[in-house]
Amino acid sequence: MRFAPLLRALASFALLVVLHYTLRPLLGWRAPMDFLLIALLLIAVRARPGVAAIVGFAIGFVADSLTPAALGAGAVAMTLVGYGASWLKAVFFADNIALNAFFFFLGKWAFDIIYFLAERRLGGIELVQQLILWSPLSAAVTALAGVVLLVVMRPLLEPSPS
Amino acid sequence: MPVSRPIRGSSRLDQIIVGTCVLLSLLALVMPGTVREPVASVFRQSVLAPLIMLQERAELSRRAFMLHEERMETRDSVTMKALSVAALQSENSRLREIIGLGQRLKWGFVPAEALHGRGVRDAYSVVLSAGTNAGVRRLSPVVAPEGLVGAVERADPTMSQAILWTHPDFRVSAMSQDGSTFGIAQAHLGAGPNRFLMELRGVSFRTELKPGMLIVSAGLGGTYPRGIPIGTVMSELKTAEAWARTYILRPAVSPTDVNSVMILRQERVAEGVEGVWQQGGPTEATLRAILAAGDSLARTAALQEAAARRAAIAAMRTDSIRAAGGTTPVTPRPQPTQPQPTQPQPQQPLPVPPVEPQRDSVVRLGPPIGARRDSTTPPRRRDR
Repeated sequence: MRFAPLLRALASFALLVVLHYTLRPLLGWRAPMDFLLIALLLIAVRARPGVAAIVGFAIGFVADSLTPAALGAGAVAMTLVGYGASWLKAVFFADNIALNAFFFFLGKWAFDIIYFLAERRLGGIELVQQLILWSPLSAAVTALAGVVLLVVMRPLLEPSPS
Repeated sequence: MPVSRPIRGSSRLDQIIVGTCVLLSLLALVMPGTVREPVASVFRQSVLAPLIMLQERAELSRRAFMLHEERMETRDSVTMKALSVAALQSENSRLREIIGLGQRLKWGFVPAEALHGRGVRDAYSVVLSAGTNAGVRRLSPVVAPEGLVGAVERADPTMSQAILWTHPDFRVSAMSQDGSTFGIAQAHLGAGPNRFLMELRGVSFRTELKPGMLIVSAGLGGTYPRGIPIGTVMSELKTAEAWARTYILRPAVSPTDVNSVMILRQERVAEGVEGVWQQGGPTEATLRAILAAGDSLARTAALQEAAARRAAIAAMRTDSIRAAGGTTPVTPRPQPTQPQPTQPQPQQPLPVPPVEPQRDSVVRLGPPIGARRDSTTPPRRRDR
């Protein structure tokens, strides 16, 4: 990754992080969109799986510090999602809006599954309700937001011609 | 989604890295709370601090947005209540005055609501919510706490119609409050705002009324009892009549403010209402009486103290003269019960405390009770 694309990717990443802590609480939806995950996925498709895992771990760990009782749950989920996204993108590469949306959807749902299982706060019917109902809804919203952001931020995310 | 390097494999190094990250994450998960909290605190106070601030502001904005509707509804309801407060206070004050008038009248009256219509004659008449069943008769006087309103023109069993003083046919024999001047009060019927003024006609030419003088009903003619306020003198009205004066009166009762009234029954008219509209009601009179009694006690105590002091001084002087071999002076000892404090006698050179002989008159004529109370010297307590 050269300097200019790296700079643009970092700017996009920073923008998404800011959106996560401003737009998300502003909307206050029951099934919120996850801009941190979108940022991680955008990084993951541009970096090696190891780097994506490190970035995921860092994002998850910092985000977990707001909920110390579950410190590490977000980190492990982000690590695995980042690594998996980077690995999957290498295998199933496609520049298609629908596939990208599905990619975001899968990433968010996988993250929620790992997160809630690792957190061990919910159990029984609540956990099932969360993973079957709210997590897919949140994943769908995240996918939608990710696609919109991809379209809006295309100038920033386009790889520079080499 | 564009990818800079489309085909990549997962090397062993990547697997080691991801394994390490997962291991560290699990380690964080199983860490005890005493270790976990300080670690999280470090991140919250450094990297996350600006983001937390952003999140806090966003949540506040959302809360403000969500509460906006509720706040608007609350503000509207508070505004509506605030608008009605003035009307309620006015009505409350009006009802208190009515109750006060009823307490002063004590008997022989019928309370009624004045119902204003919307016709042309409404400036002249009102419908009252009491009729002959309650003892209302034709020509029964209608009064308000401020004074005379009008008279019943027609009485039905359950309601009656009364003409206001603004009616062109309304007349009432009137006099000055001291009874020195008499005349006939009626509506002025002028143009514009002067329409709601009264005039006092037929005042003898040698009598001159000063602005601000209160004009009350004279009680002549038998319709209106004596002493109901009609209005106050504003100015003299120049007319062609050379043998009598005419004065413009500011009416005591505004026709638009007539809502709750009292209708005087015939026996009450015959008995009279003198004293009912005097300044200050029974409560104030009682307070004045209490104050006067308290001042009288203070005055008596001061007189007795002054007399005792004079007696002691005279006794001391007598003893000193005896000790010097002289004779007892012929100066009579003052009587404690009848001192003369306002005119010190030559044989009593020592000062005598003032007795305030004008205290009662001050109470009678005085300004507000609170001021009198503060200016009144409390009686000395001898038991301390």
